[in-house]
This record gives sequence, structure tokens and C-alpha cells, in this order.
Amino acid sequence: MAIEYKKNLAVFHDVVSVEEAEALLEWLQTKRTAKVDLTDCVHLHPANLQVLMAAKPAIQAWPTDAGLSAWLESALVAR
Amino acid sequence: MSKTIMIVDDSATMVLSLKSTLEMNGFKVETAGDGVQALTKLKGGVKPDLIITDINMPNMGGLELIKNVRALPGFRFTPILTLTTESQAAKRDEGKKLGATGWLVKPVSGPDLVKVIKQVLPGA
Amino acid sequence: MNPLLEQFLSEARDGLQDIGEKLMQLENAPADAGLMNELFRLVHTLKGNSGLFDFPEMTRVLHAGEDLMDAVRNGQAAYSRKLADRLLDAMDFIGMLCDEIEADGVTGAAHASVSVHLVKGLRQLMARDEVAGIAERHLAAGITDDTSAIPAAETAASLAASLAADLPLATIPEPARLEAYRRASAGEPLHWLLYTPSEQCFYQGDDPFFLARQTPELLWGGIEARTPWPPLADLDAYCCVLDIHLLSAAPRILLEEQYRYVADQMTLTPVSRFALVLPQGDANGGPVYDDFVSDARNLLAAGDLAGLARNAGTMLELSSPDLWIASALRWLRLVLETEPENRVVLDALVDSLSSLNAPDWTAVLAGWVEPRATHPADPPPGHDHRPLTAAPIESIHEDRPRVDESQVSGDDGVRSVLPILTTAEAEALAAILASQREILALTDTPTWLPGRLKAAAAVLSACLRVSGATDARPALERATATALAENTGAALLAWLDGQFSSSTSSDTRAKEEASTAPVAIAADPPQPWPQPEAESEVKFGRRAEDAIAGPKSLKVDQAKIDRLMNLIGEMVVAKNALPYLAGRAETVFGVRELSRDIKGHHAVINRIAEEMQDAIMQVRMMPVSFVFQRFPRLVRDISRKLGKEVNLVLEGEDTEADKNIIEALGDPLMHIVRNSLDHGIESPEIRRAAGKPAAGTLLLRAAQESDRVVIQIRDDGKGIDPETIKRKAYAKGLIDEATLERISDQEAVNLVFAAGFSTAEQVSDLSGRGVGMDVVRTAVEKVNGTVALTSERGRGTHLSLSVPLSMAVTNVMIVVSDGQLFGVPMDSVVETVRVPRAAIRTIKRSLATVLRGRIVPLKSINALLGLAAPPRSNADDELAVLVVRLGDESVGLLVDDFRETLDIILKPMTGVLSGIPAYAGSALMGDGSVLMVLNVREIL
Repeated sequence: MAIEYKKNLAVFHDVVSVEEAEALLEWLQTKRTAKVDLTDCVHLHPANLQVLMAAKPAIQAWPTDAGLSAWLESALVAR
Repeated sequence: MSKTIMIVDDSATMVLSLKSTLEMNGFKVETAGDGVQALTKLKGGVKPDLIITDINMPNMGGLELIKNVRALPGFRFTPILTLTTESQAAKRDEGKKLGATGWLVKPVSGPDLVKVIKQVLPGA
Repeated sequence: MNPLLEQFLSEARDGLQDIGEKLMQLENAPADAGLMNELFRLVHTLKGNSGLFDFPEMTRVLHAGEDLMDAVRNGQAAYSRKLADRLLDAMDFIGMLCDEIEADGVTGAAHASVSVHLVKGLRQLMARDEVAGIAERHLAAGITDDTSAIPAAETAASLAASLAADLPLATIPEPARLEAYRRASAGEPLHWLLYTPSEQCFYQGDDPFFLARQTPELLWGGIEARTPWPPLADLDAYCCVLDIHLLSAAPRILLEEQYRYVADQMTLTPVSRFALVLPQGDANGGPVYDDFVSDARNLLAAGDLAGLARNAGTMLELSSPDLWIASALRWLRLVLETEPENRVVLDALVDSLSSLNAPDWTAVLAGWVEPRATHPADPPPGHDHRPLTAAPIESIHEDRPRVDESQVSGDDGVRSVLPILTTAEAEALAAILASQREILALTDTPTWLPGRLKAAAAVLSACLRVSGATDARPALERATATALAENTGAALLAWLDGQFSSSTSSDTRAKEEASTAPVAIAADPPQPWPQPEAESEVKFGRRAEDAIAGPKSLKVDQAKIDRLMNLIGEMVVAKNALPYLAGRAETVFGVRELSRDIKGHHAVINRIAEEMQDAIMQVRMMPVSFVFQRFPRLVRDISRKLGKEVNLVLEGEDTEADKNIIEALGDPLMHIVRNSLDHGIESPEIRRAAGKPAAGTLLLRAAQESDRVVIQIRDDGKGIDPETIKRKAYAKGLIDEATLERISDQEAVNLVFAAGFSTAEQVSDLSGRGVGMDVVRTAVEKVNGTVALTSERGRGTHLSLSVPLSMAVTNVMIVVSDGQLFGVPMDSVVETVRVPRAAIRTIKRSLATVLRGRIVPLKSINALLGLAAPPRSNADDELAVLVVRLGDESVGLLVDDFRETLDIILKPMTGVLSGIPAYAGSALMGDGSVLMVLNVREIL
């Protein structure tokens, strides 16, 4: 699985596909204080991104992929 | 993990051509000779990451196949490319409306094919 | 040839065939939309495939054909006979190209003009506006290409556009804007791209984010929600509500290419680099800049740009980077660095430092034209976005392995012994002797060794006979007896070396080893069956219109089936050795039980082998449609040429028979059909005058009748006039006056089968080339078929061909004569009788006897085969007579004795022997010896 759910932390790996968005949304609906670790993520389908944008979990770590990181910051950092 | 691509075309030549290009580029390839065969395979557990289908085929053409694939569980989001010729603009649009992601224009050169696949298949 | 090309050619041929058929069908049903679609699909597929290779002529013609079919399909052009004609011509051309490609791997350049002509012919048939529409489309595509070279002097316009569009350029972080400015000032175009994916786009397999991330020359991109987020509980993860915007330095054409699948969800706005010069930050605080501004103006006026840059650097160091002024200084420094000549821009920036307002570029740049000189690097027209043409696929043209037919040349040793032979005969003899030598030299001891030795001895004996050295026969017989007793070939080998000088033998053997000259027949891998013509591939009904479900058929290479066939043939032979083995176990070693076991196993293996044989036969079956399918086109073309109207009716095309049979039917059928069209069916006027419908009917019907296929060809033409035939036959000397008086009409009609008979008053270029129906008869009889013809004057002609379903297994009766075994095909055997010598009469120096009241002429098989021995009788002085059928006649063959009947796999004669018509072929017997099968018709 591209998203690894720990107690209060979702760790994203590699490419997170569209299919994972439903589970991510369900998980975030129950974890109001959830954190997300994007370190190893190289791409995520925008369905997942939408969920993150709407749920606004704390981003514990941004992707090491600089390009992806820049994009995600534009979407996830409140301006 | 290598991605699986399904090629649906009634022309064995076209299938062979695409298949060899894709396999050379490290993809796994499933093939079907028409829409009916393709659906049978998909229902039988073949789970391609991308489907490339011809439009004009006997038994079941590409457009009908797209409609049917989208109705299958597990294939709501699978990218589908149609194989068209430059004169088939209307078919491309129709394909898009029915749920295709995009199209390829025949003849498809190897580099073009790989380029388009990399464009629609994250992680390919 | 590479497999892809091979696949293409095979598929193209199928396609062409189908196209031809569909066109024929359309002639009868021009309004059939389904047929039209099918036809379009076929042409379309073929064209698509041809594009994979570098065959421009082929693709060009197919492309025109496709456009035409599309136009017809959409009602923009009308289907007509002319259209069908031209399309058929075009497809013939394609077929010819396919042949060329198959032979040479390439198409000749000489076809370019033909293809242009064909294309013109096809395009002419399309309605004018359609042609114009296509031309426009092509033109439009060309124009789009040209726009890739955006004139760099468009800055003012793009500035206006980017300002008017009210782009949120200020949201782009300054470093990205600085970089964009730097690249734009170097001549790269800037575009703001807004991509608003449709809400349902995920269900089309789209990943808009992934697409955006791959935007060429991406400088910056951002994602926003289109609407405020609903409570998490109401969120639909799969309803896309994101907006993506980005700044790219790629030419418009590249961006359009990247977003071609979502062109309707994307807007592009050209961005002037000046619109990016938006100093941002805290407007309050920092050092006093007034001095800097006045110094800067002076330095600019003096042209001391280096000094200005130094000053700006110093000021930046003094200022907090978050200040508005620091941002403005960074811009100033960038402009100084990238376009120091651009005084208008520098002045405006210095002014804004004093006013603390971003420059109003619309005012500043009014009437300003971008100096071309500052754009040394106009982007080359994006060449890499063009669809890449398919690289020609290298076709490696391998020379087909040539069968080395090297024969051992006639050598002096043999010739000196055999002075009466011609050189060619001596060579053949030398080859035969060499083969026998090799057989005899084999050191293995199979159970069939005696058979092998006997076979070799028989061959050697025959060699002696032809060479006239019959006095050496006793020595050979002694050597044979010794060899059989010793169970090795040594004695015979020694005799052979003695008879035909030993120097020859070593010479020959050396040559033998070095070459691929014929090997021992007994150990010989069976010769392949005659290869069919190039176009005759095995097609097991893989037509598209076949049933939807069901197992997919395989297309198998002809050679593989032939190999299977040969292998099963060997299997049958090998299996037949088991009874001999059982016999030996019992008689030689006295182990009865083992003998019984072997027999038991033989029964099992026998059953399996028979089923296997049957299965392989099934594989070789193909439908009659394989030969029928060419007739619609043929009949259409010929009848048109002759000005006749003909309805062709095909029935029973599914009837199957062995591939060889089906193929053998091709030419005779073609000839018969041509005859019918040429001489049978009358012109419309004559038909009307005779009270017949103007259009004649030609029926081809195939049906299976027990183990034979019967093909009927019936026309309703003028029939055959027996009187004309009789006169003609008499004039040609085929019958004498007495016969002329006596023969019945039916017999007269059958005279058309006589050699050298041709009824055509005038030799037409279509059928009569001095070749008559005798050719048809010969061809059909070659595959053990028969032809029957009936005709009714004025009403038509009816031909019936009857051929066996399969010719692979032949049932033969074995007869003995002069100590040798011969096979006679059972289908020509009527009966076997023993006739007392006394009952044989001599009539006009010919032998004859009376069987059941009929006189049966008798011939000695020895005499027919040139054997000197007289027929032998049995103890009761009865002669064995094998009565065979020869057309309507029966002839008795005098043989020495009858043996059992056998199912054999008949191998046609090859090499030197193929020229001997007396034999239909040979077969291997269970004991390893070779059985020669007689061609009864030929020897009589």
C-alpha cells in the first residue's frame, strides 16, 4: 500500500494512486489530529490531494522531491 | 513494479507492433482481439494499469468497450487510450465522452507511444 | 523477414481478400450500411498497419481508399460500380506490393506514379466539398505548426493580454518570476496556463496533477480549490474541484500538445515578462533611497551600468530582503544583468524606486517595440513535438536456404562399367549406388534390417538390369543371401565395391560425406510434401464473421503441419515394425509371452496412432471457400469484359477437404468457370431472344458425399451441341467415321475431355489458349478425382467433380511380380481373380479373358514395367489377375501373386525418380523396406 497508516500518522510512499483517496478520506474523518509524512512520496493523485486540502492535517514532513514539494506547498500551505 | 498494459486491436500486426515496443520498454502486455475478449479478460482478473484500444473492431468496438470497462468494478479510474487515425477526430471526442483518457494516432511510433504512456501513467 | 513484417503481410492478404469479398457483396446490396462499415474498417486497419512500415506508395493509396470509404459511409459520396472498380484496382496494387515486399523486403520506387494515379482516381470520386474539407484540415494542421514560431516582437500585445486577463501573477513567488523574466528576456515565450479539470475527470482516467507536473518548461505551478471545502463528512474525493495554474516558458504549440486531451479544460494566456516585474514586500522602513535614485539616474545617463549595478548591490546588502524596496532592487539588478541596453525599462525601474510603486508598464512601453537584437535565441520551431514518423523497420532479407541439390557427378568408374548409359543416366546411377552404399554401410541393427537389405539388393538388381549387366545377377543374389544370413550389409557392400570399381566407391563416399546428397531411403527423413503456392496459407476459418464465441483458431505455418504429417507417417511405419518384432520374439527367441505382450501394445499404439493421424488430417482440412472465394471477382471481371450478365451462386463453401485436394481444385475450377462464361452463357440479347432471363446463372456447389467431396458447376447457358463436337472430333482425327456414326450424344459430349480438343470457334484471351477440358480431367485425376459432364442443348451444362476428402492415407493392395512387391491403390482395384491359363485367349496378339460374360483385356505387369520375366502361375496353373478400373473400362493386370491390403502414407517421388510417371509414389513398410506404388493409369 502506498499509504501506511500508523497510529496518528499517514506515511505516503512512492506513487499514491487514485484508489487510495477513499481510504485516506475515511481515515482523516476519524483522526482530527492526524499528521502526514510525505517524505518518500513522489506523486499523489489529486483525489488524495483534495482530501488533504479539505482535511488540513499537519504536514510533518514535505516530500524530498523538490518539484512535488513546491506544488504541494502551493496547495497545502495556508496563505 | 512493472506496469501492465492491455492492447485491444483486431489487427494482429498492430498488436504485435505495440506489444514489442511496450515490452522493450519494460511493460507487461496483455492483448485482446476485440472488445468482447478484452472484457472477458478484465472480468477474469486481468488488471492492467492502462488500456489501449482500437475503435473499429468486430464483435465489440472500442467505444462500446470503454463504456463497459467504466462500468466494471475496479476500472473506474483506469486510463484508457483509443487508437485512432488522424481522420477520426470525432471518434476521439466520442471516446473521451465515454470515459477515455486520450488517444493515440496511428501509426504510433515507439517513442511517441512511450511518451504518451509516461504522460498518463504516473510511475511508469 | 522480421516477424512483424511477416505478420503484416499475412494479415494484409487476409484483409485484401475480405475487402474484395465485401465489395462484391456491396454490388448486390449497395445500401447496406453494415457492409460499408465493415469495408471501411478493413481498409482502415490495413492503412493503419501499413503506416508501421516505410511503404509510402501503399500507405498513400490506402489512405485515399480510407478517405473515400469514409465519405461513402457518411453519405458524402455515392457507391458506384466505378468506385468498386477503382477500389478493386487499388487493392490489386496493394496485393502486388505485398508480393514484392515478401520477395524483396521493399517496394520498388517505380510504383510511385501508379500510386499517384490510383490516389487521383479514388479522390476524384469524393464529393468536392469533402476533398476541400480534408485539404482544409491538412492546411489547418500546417498553420498550427507555423504558429510555433511566435514572433518575439509580440511583447506589447502579450503585455496587454496578460494585464487584461488580470492574472494572479503576484501569487508567483519572486524567485520564480525572476527566473521567468530571465528566460523571457533571452527570447523564450511565457505562458500562463489555467487548467480547470472537469469534475468527472478522474472517471476518465485523468490525473490532472500528474499532467500539470509534466508541463514542459514549467517555471512555477500552483493548485487551488475552486470552491470552499465542504465539511469533511460531505467531501467527495472523486469529484475534482481543483484549479491548476502555472507559468511555463514553453512555446504555445508544446503546451497545446501536452494538454491535447483536455484542450477544453485549459486556457493559455501569453505573459509579457514585464508583467512579472512586481516588487513585493514591506513598503515601510529601510535606509533612505533618495540619494540612490538620483545617483542611479546620473549613472544611467552616463551609461555607467557597472556603477549602477554596484550601487544596487550595496543598497541590497543594507536593506532587509523582505522590504518592497529590496524586491525592486533585485528586479533592477536582474534587468541590468539580462538586458543592459534596455534603457526604457531601466528608467522605469529606477523611477519606481523613487515612487515606491510598481512601474505602469502599459504606459512605459506604449509604442515601444522590442528590439530584435536582444533576442538572439528565438526558440526554434518546436520540432520535437511533431509526430515522429515511424522509423522504417529494418527488414532483414535472408536468402532462403537453398536446397543443395548437388548430385554426385557421373564418374568414370561407373561410366566405364556402363558404357551404354548417357551421362545423365550415369550420374543418376552413380547417385543411386552411392545411396545404397551408405545404406549398406550403416552399422545399426534395427529389426527391419532384413527388409533394408532386401530393398538395397532390389535396387542393385535393378541397377544391373538397366545397365545391361544382367550376368552379374547371380553374384548379387549370392551376396544378398550371405548378407541376410549374416544380418549385416557387409557382403553386399563388398559385392558393390567389386562390381562398380572400388576406387569409385571411396571417391564417391568422400564426396558423399562432404555433400548433402540423398541419404539412405530407409534412414531418410521423409521428404516434405510439395509446398503449396505462396498465397495458400492455412486458414482455418478465421474469418471475422465467424461465430463470436468459441475457441480462437490458430494460424499455423504450413511447414509445421507438413512436419506433423511426416512424423505421424514415420510413427505409423515404426508402429508397423512391432508385429515383426513380435514374430521374431516368438519364432527366433521362442518367447511367446513376450510376443503376446508386444502384440497387445501394438494394438494400443496402433489405436493412438490412428487417432493421431485422424486429428492431423482434421487440421489439414480447409473449406472449399478457399478456392471459391476468388470467383466472385473473376466472374465479375470476365463477364464485364465479355458484355455478359452473370449471377454467380456459391453454395456449400463450408465443405472441407484436405488442403492439397482443395488446392488442386483451384485451376480446374478456374478453367471450368472460364469456359462457362466464355462459351456457355450467352450474351443478354441472345438469351432474351431465346426466352431466357438476360442474366445467366452460374452455380458452384460443394457438398460432402461419404468420403468424397463433390463439386458441381452448373450454368444455364447454351449447352454443348453433340453434333458440333462430333464433327470437330472427326475433323481433328480424334474419332473415326464409324465412331462418328455410332456414338451417343453423351459420349460425344465427353469428347471434350479428349486431349487436344478445344471447342472454341475462336481462341479468346480468357479461356481457350489451346488448352481444353483434358487439362481439367488430368488435374482432377491427379488427386484421384473424377469429372463427369452432362449437357442439354440450349439449357446449360453441368459438370461434377468428385474428389477424395483426403489423399494423405492411401489404401493399397500389395501384389508380387518378378519377386518384387508393388502397391496398387485400392480405389482403382475392382477385384482379384485367379484365371486358369487355359481361359486366357490371344486376340489380335493381345491377351484377354472372359469374366462374367465380359471380355477383359489382360496385360502383364512385368511387360508394362519392362521386366523380362513371364507371369508366374500357381500350383494349379492359375494366373493371378488384378482387375483394375480405367475410366469406364476394366483391365486385368497379370501379376504373380496377391498380398494383403495396407494403409500407407504415400510419398510422392522426388529427385531423379519424380520424372517416372509409372509410380504414384513410395511408402515405407513396417519392416523398413520400400514399397513402390504404381500409377495404374500411367502404366496402361
